Amino acid sequence: MNCEQCQELIQELIDGSISQRDEFTLNTHLKDCLDCESVRQDLTSILSFCETHRGEYEAPPNEQALWLRIRNVIEAENAPYLVPQTGSLQPSFFKRLMGQTWELSFPQLASLTAAIVLLVSLTTVVGLRRWGGTTEVSHAAPVVQVSNVNDRIFQRRQVINYWNQRVEVNKARWSPEMRETFDRNMRVIDEAVANSLNDLNRNPHDEVSEQMLNESLNDKLALLKEFSDL
Amino acid sequence: MRRKFIPGRGPVRASFLTITTLLTLISLSTAVAVNAQQQMSKRYPGGKNVRIELRNISGLIVVESWNKNEIRLTATIESKNAHVVPRQVNDCLMVDVMGDNRGRGDVGDINFKLQVPVNSSVDVETRRGDIRVSNIRSGLVRAHVSSEGDIELSNISATHVVAQNVIGNIFFDGEFSSGGTYEFKSTKGDITIRVPGNSAFRLVAASPTRQIKLNDFWNDGFKSQDGRKVVGDVGDGRSSVSVTNFSGQITFLRK
Repeated sequence: MNCEQCQELIQELIDGSISQRDEFTLNTHLKDCLDCESVRQDLTSILSFCETHRGEYEAPPNEQALWLRIRNVIEAENAPYLVPQTGSLQPSFFKRLMGQTWELSFPQLASLTAAIVLLVSLTTVVGLRRWGGTTEVSHAAPVVQVSNVNDRIFQRRQVINYWNQRVEVNKARWSPEMRETFDRNMRVIDEAVANSLNDLNRNPHDEVSEQMLNESLNDKLALLKEFSDL
Repeated sequence: MRRKFIPGRGPVRASFLTITTLLTLISLSTAVAVNAQQQMSKRYPGGKNVRIELRNISGLIVVESWNKNEIRLTATIESKNAHVVPRQVNDCLMVDVMGDNRGRGDVGDINFKLQVPVNSSVDVETRRGDIRVSNIRSGLVRAHVSSEGDIELSNISATHVVAQNVIGNIFFDGEFSSGGTYEFKSTKGDITIRVPGNSAFRLVAASPTRQIKLNDFWNDGFKSQDGRKVVGDVGDGRSSVSVTNFSGQITFLRK
């Protein structure tokens, strides 16, 4: 009997479930092996202490909560092993990649280094061309801004066209004086729109021209709406 | 006996008769036209917070205060087709010429004169025609001309003032109340604002033609954008004043 078999039988001995034959063999070994005898004595001492002091321990406050916390900790620790239920149990690509041993020959290593250098160079050149020059940035911004202004003007003109059509339908009912008044005022507003637009075309960054353009377009829209009721 | 021939006597008589006939016709037609105009005059009781709302199509609007706690509305209606139906709801008197005459075609000019308690809020607008409001001390004075017409606001003390037209001059004479907002806008016309020298306000004035004259109200704190837009505070800037003019002069005068 070796020590490993002996320690398994010690458990059975303490439990009282050991056979007579095993008990004889175990006792024979224990007489010769001081280590195993020491293990038997330790276990017997622990058991006898527990039996003697059974019921004397103090329950922790809120015992149920303590057990729940322990259970949560255990479940959390086991969670990574439960997740693969939906997929394969194989480790991820990254883990396999990192866990792999790389053995490269000198030509392979040289090729890999050259490829990395080439990739970094290309990325740098493309990056500098796209974002590097301050002059190009300053030219790009106005294009976007002008485009936005033009979009806004286009949208506003669509609305103006709609109301213009409504006015044209009703215009026949107006008196000649009212028609003249409307046309005269529309010309004045159109002139204001044109002037603001010219100023804005000359200087796309001009805040005042943009404000005046917006206001004149709003005025035109308001005039059309108010006269469409007549 | 031979009758003397007087050259031209026949044509002279004919001309005299023609002129007499024409004059008679003109005077008759004038009398008919005068009779065609309708006059309307009504009085309404005024409460503590009187509000006047008037939506006219064409014609002069005059609003002025008087020392009675009632509203008097006088209207001169050019066309027989026009309907003017004032409605009073609580302390608010509403006259909606636009709504009352929708689908009736041209109803001509309707000239209004409203006499109101001094603390009345006034909100008047017309498609064309002049607006004159005077001697009002209240929360609101709004005068809106959709197209052309002068706006004259005299002796006004209100916390919210709006005056807007397309063609025509705007004149404001009054005071800026603390925390009030004041907006003046014309596309083609001069805007003149006359307020006490100790007025305190924040000004945003824009005129693409660079005709902004702040006179005594100018100070070094103002920021000018190429003379077309001026932004700054006068005093502690308690009220907010916005003036926009596309083609005309903006002038500030001291009372």
